[in-house]
Amino acid sequence: MRFHIEVVHPERCIGCYSCVYACSRHLFNVIDPSKVAVFVRVNGTLANPFTIMACRFCKNPECALVCPRGALQPLPEGGITLIASKCEGCKTFDCINACMIRALALDKTTNFPIICDRCGDCAKYCPHNVFKYEEMK
Amino acid sequence: MSSRILYVNLSERSSRVVDRPDLFSKYLGGSGITSKLLLEEVRPGIDPFSPETPIIFATGYMTGVFPCVVKAIAMFKSPLTKNLGESHSGGHFASALRFAGYGALVIHGASEHPIIIKIIDDEVKIELADSLWGLSPLDVEKALRECSYEGMQSVISCGKAGENLVYYSNVIVDRFHHFGRLGLGAIFGSKKLKAISILGRKGIPLENPLVVKDMYEKLHHKVVTSDEMSKYHNLGTSANMLELNELGALPTRNFKESRFKDAERISGETMAESLLRRKISCPGCPIACIHLAELKTSFAPEHERGKKEIFYEEVLVPYNYEAMYALGNNLLIKDKRDLILLIYRCESLGLDAMMMGTVLAWVTEAFEEGRITLDETLGIKPTWGDSEAYIKIIDNTVEMKNKFYAKLAQGVVAASEKYGGREYAMALGNNGMAGYITGYGAILGPLVGARHSHLSNSGYSVDQKIMNQPISIEQIVDFLIDQEDWLYVLYSLGVCYFARRIYSKEVVCEALKALGIDKTQDELMKMGKEIFHNLYKFKVREGFELSEQTIPKRIFEVQTPHGKLEFEKIKSMIDSYIKKREKEGLHLKPEEKALKELLK
Repeated sequence: MRFHIEVVHPERCIGCYSCVYACSRHLFNVIDPSKVAVFVRVNGTLANPFTIMACRFCKNPECALVCPRGALQPLPEGGITLIASKCEGCKTFDCINACMIRALALDKTTNFPIICDRCGDCAKYCPHNVFKYEEMK
Repeated sequence: MSSRILYVNLSERSSRVVDRPDLFSKYLGGSGITSKLLLEEVRPGIDPFSPETPIIFATGYMTGVFPCVVKAIAMFKSPLTKNLGESHSGGHFASALRFAGYGALVIHGASEHPIIIKIIDDEVKIELADSLWGLSPLDVEKALRECSYEGMQSVISCGKAGENLVYYSNVIVDRFHHFGRLGLGAIFGSKKLKAISILGRKGIPLENPLVVKDMYEKLHHKVVTSDEMSKYHNLGTSANMLELNELGALPTRNFKESRFKDAERISGETMAESLLRRKISCPGCPIACIHLAELKTSFAPEHERGKKEIFYEEVLVPYNYEAMYALGNNLLIKDKRDLILLIYRCESLGLDAMMMGTVLAWVTEAFEEGRITLDETLGIKPTWGDSEAYIKIIDNTVEMKNKFYAKLAQGVVAASEKYGGREYAMALGNNGMAGYITGYGAILGPLVGARHSHLSNSGYSVDQKIMNQPISIEQIVDFLIDQEDWLYVLYSLGVCYFARRIYSKEVVCEALKALGIDKTQDELMKMGKEIFHNLYKFKVREGFELSEQTIPKRIFEVQTPHGKLEFEKIKSMIDSYIKKREKEGLHLKPEEKALKELLK
């Protein structure tokens, strides 16, 4: 199952990190707030509302455009897929820095970017309807 | 779970890591670890403010893995009780410590200059921090919070109260949580340790990911749908106020009465309708029990060059039942803004709201009786319901403006021992009382509990269970023993007290199995009991004697849902408790020799 996922109510975030933990569990079988494709960011102090960032599945994503090896393939439904053989050994990480909302994190063990696979677990575990999500037909 | 303990020495400005798989395989984490380290690391009879006195933190075995498992345990020698100091906190601390790759953190030594400890995974720095000294822990949180794009950070800080060694000062954790009650703030202050920042960027690997994911799903569903947790999500513990008022168990006017006629004006319902702005969670918990009230205070009236004021500053103040009772109904405070203001004052100073409220109530009554005068209070007239006077008294206490205020800073028992009024100095085991006069359980619980907290063994809850039934001494004593032993299991795992009904013995065994730990319910209970025994060994070693504990006379004068409590009944409950614990092989009386050493 793949989902359309959108951050629609970040102001409702309670900072439970359920989405973050669900993501790292799904992608890597770990609990690790650094190894994720969805981000709960503190804005200077916990007195401020959190900033929630996740891949926006751009049609012409800057991450794919700047990759010097063409390792990030844009998909017709938006977002990207990784061609691992083209990415392997890259030390530039232009893609990570290109994403304007910093929704692309680096997997430090493999040096590949961590790509959202639209599993929907982040939205599923959010107790406060921060995300809107529906199954893709 | 890492079995690595990070030792930081503030005198030598050094740190080292010690791996203790023996300790962690036996006690798993949290309170199990800290209870053993307490016996290993704290020199008998040590002065809590001595540079040699350690601070011991541990994260829970299951922290970060399952819902509502978020707590860190701190143990130290309390300046307030001169005995066991134990505080539990939510927030990011337990998780950040775990993500940094540690199971526990032990701090020794002291610094001459204000410092912070900054931990980023394996990198440990002790940095000069004069610029933070004197700041509220809320400003420190803003100063030290990094914009990190990886990992999880926790910032914990003492306030002015801790710097000035107020015996019941606390450590604010990630702005809205606390290591409260028994004076950890003062230990920080005595070491000139202003704050600790931990950034953890490592992960928790899951050995049986499918089993863990399945277990997580089950627990998550239970947590977000069960009635057990809905209270904490909706009004939070502030729901207690009207419930207890209805029962006739709401401490009012320094525990003289058990109903507050203005309870509705400061109740959880009223707060939720008018001042509640946001709710926030600990990482790993979907409930968001922390309720934040918005306090709007205007700038000076002439701010805009003589024109009408249009600017306000707003601050978010965490409110919960205990702070509301201690600074609200117990002081006859009936204005909701005044109550939030009083709570905010305590937060800004890093002061335990419960004990401060207990002190203020005693001060008001002692003044009424003429035991203290305007000479002592420096011209402030403590009056029931007068928040302005109370704020001045709070400030003077933290500043220790004179001998009287310095005595207040030592707690309500110390103050009453000097000025009188011991009968209404509402503390048990020297720790300020919680807001329940529900019956015998509410009194016995904190009395026998290792850390003298109502959360030690939920004594207050057994009173409601046995309403309209004859009081069975055995029933109450057994409940308190079983609850405290079992809770120490939960506290070793990092489970939040609020989720105690979700994490039943059965569920805990299943959850541990998913993590590769095969323990029976009996084995777990045995571990919990051993942790309690460790702590009582420490207490007795440091001079605690349960049979010598005093209960303020006021307790026997106030009306409870069970009528007036009888001293003889409580005495027989204590005797029964002592007998049962001694049957377990626990010695509750200090050795004659050891006691003499302490009294030298």
